[in-house]
Amino acid sequence: MKKRALIVDDNGNNLRMEKDLLEVAGFEVFLARDASSGIAMAKKEKPDVIVMDVRLPDMRGSEAARILREDKDTSDIPIVFVTASVMAEGKEEIKNITNSGFIGKPINTRNFAKEINRFIK
Amino acid sequence: MKDKRKNKEFSEDGVKIHTAPERRIIEKLHQEIAGSKKTEREAQGSREFAESIINTVREPLISLDQDLRVVAVSRSFYEFFKVKPEETVGQLIYDLGNKQWDIPRLRELLETILPQKTTFDNYEVEHDFATIGRRIMLLNARQIERVLGKERIILLAIEDITERREIEKGLEKTRKELEVIKKSADEVSEFSESVINTVREPLISLDQDLRVVTVSRSFYECFKVKPEETVGQLIYDLGNKQWDIPKLRELLETILPQKTTFDNYEVEHNFSTIGRRIMLLNARQIERGTGKERIILLAIEDITERREIEKGLEKTHKELQDLAVELKRTTRAKSEFLANMSHELRTPLNSINGFSEILYDETFGPLNGVQKEYVNFVLTSGKHLLLLINQILDMSKVEAGKMQLTLSDLPLKSILNEISLLVADMVSKKKLQILLEIAEDLPNIEADELRVKEILYNLLSNAVKFTPEGGKIGMRAKQTDSEIEIVVWDTGVGIAPENMEKIFEGFFRVDTPYSRITEGTGLGLPIAKKLVELHGGNFSVLSEGLGKGTQVRFSLPIRSKKAV
Repeated sequence: MKKRALIVDDNGNNLRMEKDLLEVAGFEVFLARDASSGIAMAKKEKPDVIVMDVRLPDMRGSEAARILREDKDTSDIPIVFVTASVMAEGKEEIKNITNSGFIGKPINTRNFAKEINRFIK
Repeated sequence: MKDKRKNKEFSEDGVKIHTAPERRIIEKLHQEIAGSKKTEREAQGSREFAESIINTVREPLISLDQDLRVVAVSRSFYEFFKVKPEETVGQLIYDLGNKQWDIPRLRELLETILPQKTTFDNYEVEHDFATIGRRIMLLNARQIERVLGKERIILLAIEDITERREIEKGLEKTRKELEVIKKSADEVSEFSESVINTVREPLISLDQDLRVVTVSRSFYECFKVKPEETVGQLIYDLGNKQWDIPKLRELLETILPQKTTFDNYEVEHNFSTIGRRIMLLNARQIERGTGKERIILLAIEDITERREIEKGLEKTHKELQDLAVELKRTTRAKSEFLANMSHELRTPLNSINGFSEILYDETFGPLNGVQKEYVNFVLTSGKHLLLLINQILDMSKVEAGKMQLTLSDLPLKSILNEISLLVADMVSKKKLQILLEIAEDLPNIEADELRVKEILYNLLSNAVKFTPEGGKIGMRAKQTDSEIEIVVWDTGVGIAPENMEKIFEGFFRVDTPYSRITEGTGLGLPIAKKLVELHGGNFSVLSEGLGKGTQVRFSLPIRSKKAV
């Protein structure tokens, strides 16, 4: 059975690149361009992993993660933040979210799928 | 002292009568010839006249015969020399009062001088009398022919000038003392004047009518007034009534009459000659040394400049506070800006590097040779841009003091080897020779692993970049006391002495034909230096000049000096 990944990013290029890399690695991929549709998609599809940007148009990725953690349908899904905010302040924002990880942009295309895989039990 | 000469008179018959004592003698003569009817009437008149004179004369008088025996003595003589008539008249003068009168100077007068001169004035004799003590006397002597007979008598008027001498002496002494006092008074006034003129603060003294008595030189200088238009003037009238200042009037007319002292009375006034001035007035009412008059001493301190400085200081203080607030704000803004810049630059770089990497890896199908070469150019440039961004961020963090070290126990020996392997590719591409001299017993150190690797990588990659093909690079590491000393050297282009400072400024690229094709940001060396210093180590660069190679020497403490 294919692993299922939800990618939440408002940047079309990022969505496309991450989708390609994960699909090439054998993932089934769902896409969302903002937090609220991402949360809805997560509840509906219950993916194995959520790959999420931190700066989203409707709310911060950290806020979306808090909502996902409070919902029993999504509280256990690992979240991997892919963010260009690699400075200390950016990491501080997400460090207390359970079952989550961090990948800085620009991403290393050669081991991106491997990194994501590490978060799936 | 009464002058006997005032009493000089002439009798009606023209007989010259010299002095009062003489008249006394004349009276005596009259008594002696009282029996002579021929002269009785005449003698009667003279006697009365002589008596009246004697009553008014205070000087002792004595008359002697030619044998120097006392013929007659005035009452004042008895009183003065404390002798009695019965032991006086008929005695040899020298025997008087138990021979007290045996005075050599008197003998000289009576026995030597008088026989030759009939008159002798102001013959001074000093003698210590047993009864009345030391006396100074002026003797006036006359030899007078007795009216009847050929005998002569000597009339001796004795003027006691002891007191006068003492008074004269006293006067002389007093005069000398006065001179001393006057001199010291002059000195005092000279001193106080010089004090007044030495003091920089303008001083003015006023009498009770508030008229100027004296003024210090600095007053004239400070307030641009002339002595002739100042002294004697009412203070308010000074300098065209410029001094008619309500606050000054209040001080002089209301406050001072009640208090004798007033300090730091602040007056601000716009003088037409010297402009707006702020003055501190210190006033004293002083009793004049002589007389009951009081004078007012007024010291004027011009604090205009001081006030301006104070205001300036206050302003500067305020500006500094504002600046500190502004600095905090800009520091925060700078961090925010850096974070934003980093984010905004990474987002497009993510596409550039990501997609070119996917293309280069031929994930979605093969590229021809040129396509692959070109997409590699894009990828390499993108990675260089990313390196630049990261290094700029590092520099900014270090400079803002925001770089935090994550210290751990590092196996330095293996890290040195690891980093040398990282540059091995570049080394072999340029056909360089690399020499590692790492001490076998190199201990672990307490440091930030990522930053130590960054330091070593920056220095080794610089050595590779700036050494032409066929050259040598190397690394030495050994323990010295509580530090590890590491030297990264090369036989490359070196550094011109004039560029030694510039290489730490950032973005400096050694300008040689060779360096133009060299990749780099110019930030590797300054970042390495800052990271070494952040660890508490020393960092220095040595080069004997262009083409002479470079040696970077730095140290890292084995135990971090930084509190973790």
